[in-house]
Amino acid sequence: MLKVTNLHATVDGKEILRGINLEVKAGEVHAIMGPNGSGKSTFASVLAGNEKFTVTEGSVEFLGEDLLDLSIEDRARKGLFLGFQYPVEIPGVTMANFMKLAVNEQRKYRGEEPLTAAEYLKLMREKAKVVELDTKMTSRAVNEGFSGGEKKKNEIFQMAMLDPKLAILDETDSGLDIDALRVVATGVTKLHTAENATVVITHYQRLLDYIVPDYVHVLYKGRIIYSGDRSLALKLEKEGYDWLINDLKE
Amino acid sequence: MTIYEYIESIKEQPACLGGVLRFEGTNDQVQVLDGANKRITLAADARCKLLVVHRTAQNVSMEVELGERAVLTMAVLYPENGVGAEGKVQVVQQEASRLQMTALQLASSTLQVEVDLVARDAESVVNALFAIGAEEQSRLSIRTNHRSSDCRSSSVVRGLAGGKAVGAFDGMVYVAPDAQRTDAFQQNRNMLLSETARIDTKPQLEIYADDVKCSHGATVGQMDNEAIYYMRQRGLDEQQARRLQLTGFADDLVMRCGCEQLCELLMEELNHKLDRI
Amino acid sequence: MATDNEKDLLESLAEEEYKYGFTTDIETEFITKGLSEEIVRTISEKKGEPEWMTERRLQAFRHWQTMKLPTWAHLDIPEIDFQEIIYYAAPKPKKPLGSMDEVDPELKRTFDKLGIPLEEQMALAGVAVDAVMDSVSVKTTFRETLAEKGIIFCSISEAIREYPELIQKYLGSVVPYTDNFYAALNAAVFSDGSFCYIPKGVRCPMELSTYFRINAAGTGQFERTLIVADEGAYVSYLEGCTAPQRDENQLHAAVVEIVVERDAEVKYSTVQNWYPGDKEGKGGVYNFVTKRGLCRENAHLSWTQVETGSAITWKYPSCVLLGDNSSGEFYSVAMTNNYQQADTGTKMIHLGRNTRSRIVSKGISAGKSQNAYRGLVRVSKGAEGARNYSQCDSLLIGDQCGAHTFPEIDCRNRTAILEHEATTSKISDEQLFYCNQRGLSTEDAVGVIVNGYAREVLQKLPMEFAVEAQKLLALQLEGSVG
Repeated sequence: MLKVTNLHATVDGKEILRGINLEVKAGEVHAIMGPNGSGKSTFASVLAGNEKFTVTEGSVEFLGEDLLDLSIEDRARKGLFLGFQYPVEIPGVTMANFMKLAVNEQRKYRGEEPLTAAEYLKLMREKAKVVELDTKMTSRAVNEGFSGGEKKKNEIFQMAMLDPKLAILDETDSGLDIDALRVVATGVTKLHTAENATVVITHYQRLLDYIVPDYVHVLYKGRIIYSGDRSLALKLEKEGYDWLINDLKE
Repeated sequence: MTIYEYIESIKEQPACLGGVLRFEGTNDQVQVLDGANKRITLAADARCKLLVVHRTAQNVSMEVELGERAVLTMAVLYPENGVGAEGKVQVVQQEASRLQMTALQLASSTLQVEVDLVARDAESVVNALFAIGAEEQSRLSIRTNHRSSDCRSSSVVRGLAGGKAVGAFDGMVYVAPDAQRTDAFQQNRNMLLSETARIDTKPQLEIYADDVKCSHGATVGQMDNEAIYYMRQRGLDEQQARRLQLTGFADDLVMRCGCEQLCELLMEELNHKLDRI
Repeated sequence: MATDNEKDLLESLAEEEYKYGFTTDIETEFITKGLSEEIVRTISEKKGEPEWMTERRLQAFRHWQTMKLPTWAHLDIPEIDFQEIIYYAAPKPKKPLGSMDEVDPELKRTFDKLGIPLEEQMALAGVAVDAVMDSVSVKTTFRETLAEKGIIFCSISEAIREYPELIQKYLGSVVPYTDNFYAALNAAVFSDGSFCYIPKGVRCPMELSTYFRINAAGTGQFERTLIVADEGAYVSYLEGCTAPQRDENQLHAAVVEIVVERDAEVKYSTVQNWYPGDKEGKGGVYNFVTKRGLCRENAHLSWTQVETGSAITWKYPSCVLLGDNSSGEFYSVAMTNNYQQADTGTKMIHLGRNTRSRIVSKGISAGKSQNAYRGLVRVSKGAEGARNYSQCDSLLIGDQCGAHTFPEIDCRNRTAILEHEATTSKISDEQLFYCNQRGLSTEDAVGVIVNGYAREVLQKLPMEFAVEAQKLLALQLEGSVG
């Protein structure tokens, strides 16, 4: 589904990603871990097409197409979803309106008819349940005045609405208390199928208690320096990154 | 229904004609006014809805008196492709009367609103939005005079300027000596949409009483690129994302105009303008 | 500030009416009152100025004659007869000054009463004081220490004689005589003031401080200050004012110019405590000040002021942010009581790219006073990425005073982000009750609350100034409650 080959990217002339290789297949869950400043969020942003970053080398193939060639919105419409670490507030625009536009744009891209108001409402109610979201929230402005937990729940709700092929969740667990974490993680797990894939970027292994990854990768200084299975996350939790980084130096 | 269709449909309404209007009781239908100078009086306990449309370059000066407990819901519209009309609305509010005014400047225009709260418990809400582009210039001044104790006023003003447009807002909340327990709020937010647009804003307070709650705020900013990126990540194209941000900036002000019918009429005008700004 | 400290301060103010209201008995030399080309020439001559300086004064005078008094401020200014003012008064030194010991003992006593540490205390305080008594700089200390670093800190008269190239380059470069009525007047008749030059890359090791005093009766004071921080330099400059009690009104029209060259930083702090007039509004200083700084690339200028004195204050310390990435700040507490009037604020002119400014203004009105904030934030077309944040609060004490806010934002660049907020409030009965219940008198409670309200600004002042400022705030509030 996703094939990243030797990806390099810079911001303001500074190289952050220095040759990332990663392959994600349908049905898989990948976790990307790593110390602060290793380039985890940059990697997610570059895949989503954030214009702050410049790709200087390498390629990304998504569902058989050159991802880097697509605009931000076309990547989204094709089924790439980025769960933001800091979801953006859009004052005055209600969630319901915003999602209706997004859902219908995606349908248009696929050559489908837009949803009628009734169909849309039904879909919204159904998906709100996935993340235990009060449907009243959808009449509020996007992320405006939301608590940290509400914002993250709202991200997963949008993910449910858009039903992506590949979801990249950037630090979705940060700033959540244990109940919110459970709700968010359970939501993500419920949405996972054999046809889609999830990449979870996280600092802590606690999220991986809920979202069980097939692969765990360690990103350090813009490269994946180590990959393993679930047990790697547990080992990192216990022993930190030093043993890996020291290994690298030797 | 557009405003013009609406005006056509109620043309026979005699209340709209003549220079002096007096309302008693409750008038449910939105009355449309345009043209000459007007004096409007709402008797005690009267309720009425007014729409003033500046279709021609003719200057319009209105004097409005709200009797005790009278409620006036009113909108002043300078439609798109207007011709630089000047308007002046002076409102005097008696005890416990309520004014809910929404002004929409979608073309070059000058609007002066002055509200005098002369008896206790009077409440005034004056909201305004200007959305201009090209070479348009709009000026707006809102002066609220708290001349009695225990009155409330609130003013929310939004400004959108694109092209080479110049938008100017001059706000003043005056609180007279002895106008104690005044509650006054004034907020002005502006968005510049082009390299060459200009915003000039003066949100002022002049206060001579001490037991007051007065606050104002003003901001000038631009489109939020983070929000645009966020919306595009959810599949909206750039233009849709920009348009949605304008909607979010402007809509709620019109939504709060206090009358569903007025709201529909104004929204249509606003959306048309926002598509082109 | 610790609570204990606050309490001490509040206690110490109980006895004072106007502590600094005394007159020093020194021989003073006057020239005849009134203003003419002749007078301007005489002033220049008395000061032994070179010809070019006399010409500059005359040019300013001629321009001033064509100007009208500004009337836009929210001030009720009694008519000022500019021909009734004596434009020059210099204390006559009894003999030429060679050392500290030779300073006029009367003068030294005055400074002692003011609590200004002029001698060894200054070394301990780490402050060099250029004490300006009336119009002529009498004694400048720490010159040698500063000279080692190449820092020039002297009276402006001396600078005109000794450093003509610097004066010709910088004087009037930020505030030209054409700027406004009072700036023109000052340019024509300025008596003395301070000049400070920090050379390239030098951090001034101590806080430079000038105490101004109006002394002789009926004398206008026209101070001229010029501060130049050359590339990469840093200086913190303190200006404090106290004036003796007088019945007649006194005019004060100072000009302060600051040039902040590339990568340099200047902090300018003021505690202004001119005589505010009595409880009936009789007397007091009219204070019309033009203060402005020019910031080049990467430069930073910070104005902090505590304004408690003067019958009338008209003052807008401003920053012209000319260079890219330059920044300006304005922190102000302005308190008015009795019949005082203040119209003060700032202008932030954003011209360079990525320029930043911050305004925090705290107005406090009591008695029958009028207190206005007036500000302008202008972003020019080329000022990409400009940012401003302004916060203007007003606190009302009593129901006979006025608090006004007149901000203006003029934005011509769409990448600017500008925010302005303002609130008006009074000290709530609940707050007072709470303090009373904990044993504070109402007066003390007001003092504590006001100091808390002004805290954000007071914190920006150098320590010794902060203490004095707190005292002054409390002092000014006496009799305004209860």
